[in-house]
Amino acid sequence: MPMKGRFPIRRTLEFLQKGETVFKKSVQIMTVNYNTHGDLSEGARKFVFFNIPQIQYKNPWVQIMMFKNMTPSPFLRFYLDDGEQVLVDVEGKDHKEITNHVKMILGKSDKVLEAEALAKMELSNPANFGPKKYFLRECFSEVEGQVPHPGFVPLPKEMTGKYRAKLAAGSDE
Amino acid sequence: MLRALSRSPAPVVRLLSPRTAVWVETVRGRKSRTDPKAKSKLGRIKTPPPVDPVEMVVLKERYTEYNLILRALRLEFKEQMLRKKYEEEVGSVAEERTKREEEEHRSLMALNDAENLRMHKIREQRMQKEAEAEELKKREADILRQQELENYIKEKERQILQLQEEAKDFITLDNLDQRIEEALDNPKNYNFAIDKEGRVVKRTAFQR
Repeated sequence: MPMKGRFPIRRTLEFLQKGETVFKKSVQIMTVNYNTHGDLSEGARKFVFFNIPQIQYKNPWVQIMMFKNMTPSPFLRFYLDDGEQVLVDVEGKDHKEITNHVKMILGKSDKVLEAEALAKMELSNPANFGPKKYFLRECFSEVEGQVPHPGFVPLPKEMTGKYRAKLAAGSDE
Repeated sequence: MLRALSRSPAPVVRLLSPRTAVWVETVRGRKSRTDPKAKSKLGRIKTPPPVDPVEMVVLKERYTEYNLILRALRLEFKEQMLRKKYEEEVGSVAEERTKREEEEHRSLMALNDAENLRMHKIREQRMQKEAEAEELKKREADILRQQELENYIKEKERQILQLQEEAKDFITLDNLDQRIEEALDNPKNYNFAIDKEGRVVKRTAFQR
């Protein structure tokens, strides 16, 4: 079961996470019309083969459909929220050009992505304590170098309350 | 007075106790209802810490003032944050943002349209070239076909002419006797050898 398909690298997480195209919220459907034979559709075919998995990984809520051998020349069509349709002609283009063009027209810009990442980071502050499900640590005793919880490791005699009380009582007498 | 006091102990104590203290008689904690008291705590009588009334009054005043100020500040900041959030989501900031995004979208669509137009022009040129090339090929094929036809006809004519020429030498019923006489008069000698180039090498003498 090790590797499936012609380019199994397309199935690796590393490859999928390398995709940079994150669509704006208004893009709902993406349609690719291309041909299986012919020089002009070569770029479109490579785009479908390599870049569509990356795009779908980054935009799980966008519907992507492929139509083969229905058109004389390959194109992409995007259907937006307000009913607008965006047509992108990709005849004779290279798959890298296509991705860059699509990213430029309908993708979120780098600044926006960074701002979103920052906002997401602000929500989960690693300095907070709480249940293991949401935070890193529950008690300060879990930190390296701190006195561990007496439930797991018994405290040395000198730190226990009763020893100290006995000492105090003894010194008072 | 005692009964009145016993009916509602809280207000009397509240005058002298600190404001934020919790009025609890017992706290359950770790042990359940049925667990016995610890041996070291059997004779314990819990007494609250002693309170100096003058100090208490002064402290209460100061604390009320302090808490008032802090609470006011806290609510002020909270209101600021809420206002900012509201503006961002619903108010003027959001409107500006939508306007800006719309403008950007329009410009990007214009870019896309320009790109499409450019591709369209390129495609038109390519189609034209292809059409011309096809025309040329078709014409050439036509010419070739015609030439082939002519060659074929010429070949056939040549063959006919050759046949006609050969027909002159045919042996028919008319000149049968004449040809027999001729053949008997001129005997032919087939006894000769040929080398690889086809030249005659040796001839043996004619013998009947």
